[in-house]
Order: sequence, then structure tokens, then C-alpha cells
Amino acid sequence: MAAEQTGANGPAEKSQLFAGYKINPAFYDEMFDATGAPREHCRELWKVLRAIPHEEITTMQERVERSFLNEGITFSVYGEEGAQDHIIPIDIIPRLIAAAEWESLEKGLHQRIQALNLFLADIYGPERIINDGVIPPDMVRGCPQFRNAMRGVEVAHGIHVSVCGTDLVRSHDGFMVLEDNLRVPSGVSYMLANRAAIKTTLRDVFRRQKVRNIDGYGRLLRQTLAELSPHGDADPTIVLLTPGIYNSAFYEHMFLAREMGVELVTGNDLVASNGFVYMRTTAGLRRVDVIYRRIDDDFLDPLVFRPDSQLGTPGLFDAYRLGNVAIANAPGTGVADDKSMYAYVPEMIRYYLDEEPLLANVETHLCRDPEALEYTLDNLDNLVIKEVGGSGGYGMLIGPHATTEERNAFARKINASPENYISQPVLDLSCAPCLTDDDAAPRHVDLRPFVLCGREIRLVPGAFCRVALTAGSLVVNSSQGGGGKDFWVLSE
Amino acid sequence: MLSRSAEGLYWIGRYLERGQHSCRLIADQFETIKDRPVNQIDKGWQRLFQGLQRVPFGGRPNSNTDDEQFMLVDAYTLADDLTFEPSNPNSIRNSLANARENARQVRNVVDEDLWACLNLSFLDLRDIDITDIWKDRPNEFYRRTEDSVRTFFGIAESNMYRDDGWYFLQLGRFIERAQLIVGLIKAQFVVYSVNDSKAGVDTDSGGDTDWLSLLRICAARDSYRRFHSLYYEHSALVNFLVADPQLSRSIRYASAQICEALEAVSGGRPLVVEAGRRAGRLAALIDYDWPNRNPADNNAVLAILHEIGDSCRRLHDDIDTAYFSYAIGEGMDG
Repeated sequence: MAAEQTGANGPAEKSQLFAGYKINPAFYDEMFDATGAPREHCRELWKVLRAIPHEEITTMQERVERSFLNEGITFSVYGEEGAQDHIIPIDIIPRLIAAAEWESLEKGLHQRIQALNLFLADIYGPERIINDGVIPPDMVRGCPQFRNAMRGVEVAHGIHVSVCGTDLVRSHDGFMVLEDNLRVPSGVSYMLANRAAIKTTLRDVFRRQKVRNIDGYGRLLRQTLAELSPHGDADPTIVLLTPGIYNSAFYEHMFLAREMGVELVTGNDLVASNGFVYMRTTAGLRRVDVIYRRIDDDFLDPLVFRPDSQLGTPGLFDAYRLGNVAIANAPGTGVADDKSMYAYVPEMIRYYLDEEPLLANVETHLCRDPEALEYTLDNLDNLVIKEVGGSGGYGMLIGPHATTEERNAFARKINASPENYISQPVLDLSCAPCLTDDDAAPRHVDLRPFVLCGREIRLVPGAFCRVALTAGSLVVNSSQGGGGKDFWVLSE
Repeated sequence: MLSRSAEGLYWIGRYLERGQHSCRLIADQFETIKDRPVNQIDKGWQRLFQGLQRVPFGGRPNSNTDDEQFMLVDAYTLADDLTFEPSNPNSIRNSLANARENARQVRNVVDEDLWACLNLSFLDLRDIDITDIWKDRPNEFYRRTEDSVRTFFGIAESNMYRDDGWYFLQLGRFIERAQLIVGLIKAQFVVYSVNDSKAGVDTDSGGDTDWLSLLRICAARDSYRRFHSLYYEHSALVNFLVADPQLSRSIRYASAQICEALEAVSGGRPLVVEAGRRAGRLAALIDYDWPNRNPADNNAVLAILHEIGDSCRRLHDDIDTAYFSYAIGEGMDG
């Protein structure tokens, strides 16, 4: 086989993709074991990749990036001029996971979304978990994401979270949940776009590795949303509500609307009247049954949330409260993915399901607790500090990478409002090989699978794998220099 | 269909037709530049700008019709104004950019192939300027750009589902076309003398090239020769461009497409009916008023052309209020 011959020759060996690949034993490597041998489930891919001359791989990489730009698979970074035309850089070396490992992840994700939904139904309803003293009341009601307007609202089937994007990281100890994204998680279109691109580029090995199919996401999402319809009809009118083209995830909104075959609407396209929601069509107003909203709570309805919002539809929340339209995810889900509430998710699982959590949490110190505050301030140089309400990699400090001034500035902020901060140990995020200018090198990665929850829980065997493209960096957010990888879930 | 999506497609139709028309105008003007006397070239530019109701950015320097060098510099500046000038909302680049921007907003109802075609056409001219296209043969650029618009409509024709989206794309395209042809013919009357007694020049001798180029812009030269005459009788030629039902760049043809599209999307609501009536009146203008004009009376001819253009503008407003931005009460009636 060509691959073996290449590897055996000295000079050819040098140009081989993995010739200079240095595994850092501090981090779990997704492709290689500690001895440097490819993991069993990655062997096929490894053999193929090392047989491809470096220039050819670079060309493949460029072709994929160009196709993203041509197809307009772009996102925008806030505050940048001409921002519409960024692409999320894609690295063409896929990340693989073995069948059994995926299966256990899947179970953990099922468990977690169940508990989170029960929690949300509870805190906007009977508040059992508060009354039983498991979670302090002010943590819930004092949370900026808590929506008073949602108290007592009957949510269809009790499902507050229909779409969840859970951020997972892996260390030597296994997978851990870093964050539950329960408001308007994005990235699923990149999962699908990355797949489409890599499937074309590496089609032979893709076949041989028996990668599981993820094409059904649009259908599953539509099915999930249809199940929320308050009118129980077989074919409800579903719309996807977007803030518009200047939103960083607009491409995804457009993509999903098309995948599902539903209208993509902005707040101005919707009209709330007589307790129902309609959309403005060329044939007059048409009733809307389910809104998959990709705008934040604050902007949904200026009459109930932010009065200055231009994006929302006045009267929308009234129609929702009356049970005439479903909104997914329900308003107010942010209280459950708040960074301090995160620490309580294992407790929620035990409380509502009477089970032990299958997926571990990252050790988290809530600075609202004086002991944790002291510990955090004493160990700023080896902790990650996060703002409770922050997201997208904004408002955080990575202690070991920060300067003394930065740490001091953060310490002042923490002291001023400790309840706004949590701290976590610096994670030894796993690495996966990425194409660099010279050859392949390890880069840190995380993983965001998308869990759907309607009458049942559904999950396509795939995820958006994010990569910190800068050597040594731990920040995988696309707004801060992160990229993506195709993620292959292998069948048995 | 969502009103905003329909509106987006309508504007894609309008902007692309506009961009394509400008490509045809400039490409034709470059044909003139090849071997015509300087004053004839100058008149060509005049017709072009009048037809588009455009004054070049910064105004146009006094033409010096004797100076070859001036003529070339002038061409460079004027072509730039119509192609790349950022402050010209109807420049070719802005037209394509606007079409693409509309497509981006309604991308979920635009076929992937259509989007790719439009996106690539725009990216092709996003970062270039007049010096880039001047270096080689500028005509190549205009041909290529027109081709990309043609490809767009070709893909639309073969891929698009014939729902409201298709018909609004058609509406935008043909309302724009009717208005552009009206503008062009009116400019022809203003810039050139119209007199049938002077006509009758053999089409091959090149004696009446100003009129020949009018046919060329409307892709009508061959059909005119085949079905009418090898002689360019001015009034017959104008009649051809206004009233011929088979010429795809005639006003009559555009009006038929508009009526057909409106019929396909109409929903019986009062404002919708009004838009349909307006389209009917536009057709009647061409079918009944136009044949009754005195072809020798230029003012009478111009008056009807003016009325046709006005009718198109009102039709645009009617469509907007009937389908895109109707009041809520009106929408409920349907």
C-alpha cells in the first residue's frame, strides 16, 4: 500500500503529514495514544492522510475554504466592518469517535436535558427544588435570566428546552460538560456544512470508516418543533424567527429554515392580533403555530421584555401565554444555563431523576460563596474566571495566560460583585491534529452536540467540533480565532 | 409566500435587469467607439446617460467633439461612473451588490445554484475597478457580467418552483425592463433627430448607426431585419421596440409578462385587484392608444411613452401596497 511505502523512506517520511507531530502528554490526543500510535478507530484515516503529499492536502484545504466563501457559509464578528464575509475556518482533518464512546455520551446528554427541562418546569411552576432547599431561592429568582413573566405559564408538554447545544470537553479523565447552551445555541449548520465539505474531499476514507449519517437534522428539528404545536394539527405552520442578516448566525438561520422547509421571518414579518400570531404573506395574514426563535428573550416582545427592542413583535408573549402559539426554546431558559446554575446540574439530576449523573461537570467555584471567593482570589494564576452571564468567550480570564495587571483588574471586578463570577481549574482540553503551514500539529478541541427534545429526545450522531487554531490556545470560540472540524461518529 | 421574501425576489429581478441593461448599453457604446466619428460617440454617451436619467458624478466636462484624446478619457470616466461609481446607486456594481444583498436576506427561498451564481458574479467585480477592465478589452468585462445575469435567469427558469417567488422575480424584472426601454427610446428622441424621410438607408452601409445601435441594445437587430425591413425606418423601428409581442425586449412583451405574473399571484383582495387593473391599463395603452398615434408627431409619441413609464411606476406602488406593505386590516380580508 502506498501509505506504508511512503512511511518507510527517509525523505518521503519527512514530508509526511504526521512526521513532525509532537504529542504533549499533558493532553489527551484524539488521534494518537501515548506511544504515538494511532488509536484503533483512527487507523484507516491516519493511513490515508499520511499517504497524501503535503501540497495536495494544502490544496484540498484551500479548496474547501474557497467553497465556503463562494457558498456564503459565513458568520460575522461584532463590531467589525464588512463582517458578513468571514468564514469559520475549517480544518480538513476530521475528528473521530468510536461507536461505544458516542453511545455513552448520548446517554449522558439524554439524562441531562431531561433534568434541565424538569428543573425549568419546576422553577416557573411549583418550585419544589427551592422549597426542598436544594437550590437557594435567590440563585433562581435573582438570576438576570429568570423571567417573571414565565411564572405559571403552561408550556406545551413541559418542554422548555427543545434545542440544546451542550459543550463537551475531554481530558485524560474522560468527557465533561463545560456548558449547557439552552437559549439560542448555534453551530449546527457548521456541523452540516463541514460534513458536506469533508465528505466530498475525503470521500474514499469516509466510506471505509463507516461514518454515521447526520443528514436528518433538519427533519428531526422540524418534527420536534411540530410536536410543540398548541393546536395539535399534523402540519402546523412553523417559522424561524431571526434578528436578521446582521446577526452573526444568520447563515445558520437561513440554512435551517431551508432544511426544514419553513419561512424565515423577522419580528416585522409577524403580527400579533387577538391573541394569535400571524405572518405577513403575499396572500394576506397567515396564522403561525410554532416559532423557532433565534433571538434572545429580551427582543421577543417589547411589551413584556425590552421596550426599546426593534426586533420583536408586540403582543407575541400574550399569544404565547394564551397557548395559541409555541415558542422554542421557551423564554427564560437562560436561568438554567447560567454559569453558576451549572454547578447545580448534577444535583438536579439526582433530585428529579434519582440517578447519578452520567456526564461529569467541571469543578466549579461559585464566588458568591465566601470560601470559594477566597480560594479563587488566592489562585487566580491557575484558574479560569468566568462572568456568570458571559458567553462566546467574552468576559473571561485564563489565569495562567494573563498578565499580572489583567489578573489584578479581574480581582477588583470579582471583589466588587462576587456573585457575578465563577472559577474553574484550567482544563486540560484534549488535542486533535490540525493542518498547519508545515504539517499536522496538535490543537485543542471541544465538541458541541445538538440535542432535540419534543415528545421524545432526538440526537443526530454528530456535533460541531470547535478548534483553537492558534498553537497553545484554549479559546475555541469562532468569534475569537476558533475554527471547526468535521466530527465522525463511527458505526460499530 | 412571506411578503418580505416576495419583495426580495422582486428587487432581485429589478436590480439584475438594471445591471444587465447597463452592460448592454456600455458594450454597445464601445462598439461605437471603435470606428465612429467623435461627435457620434459623444451623442451615444448623451443618449446613454439621458436614458438612465443620470448625471455623471461631478458633472460632465464640456465635450470637445474634435479631440480624440479627450474622447478616450471621457469614455473612461463615463464608463467608470456607470460601472463602479460608489455614489451611483444604479452602477453595475451597485446593482449586482443590491441584488445579492436582497438574495442574502431571502436566501432560504433562493435556490442554492441561483445564490452561488449571484454571489460569484458579485465577488468577481467586488474588488476591481475601471483600470482593471480597461487594461485588456473592456467589452469582455461587460459581456462576462451580462452573461452572469443571463445565467442567473437561466437557472431561475430551469430550477425555480413556479410559486409566488417566481412570479415576483418576473414582475420585478419586467417592470424594470419596460421602464428602461421607455427611458432609452425617449432619450433616442431627444438626442437624435427623428425623421422618416431621412431614413431608408441600407442597414449594411452603416449610415444610420445610431438607430442600428438602438436595435442592438434591445437584441432586436436580426429579428427586425428578418420580419420588417433591411431599411431602418425610424417610426417602424420604434414601433417594433414598443409594440412587438414577440420581441423579448419590447415594452409590449414586458407588459404581457407583467399581466401573466400578476394573474398568477393575485388573491382577490381589493388592493390586489387594483394592481391587476393597473397592469391591464398598461397593456391597453400599448394595444389601443399606441396604434392610434400619429407616428409623425414626435410629441404625441413621447406623450404615450411618458404615460407608459408613469404607469409602470404606479404599478410598482400598487404591488408594494397590495403584497408587501399592506395595512393589517387589509391583510385579514384575504
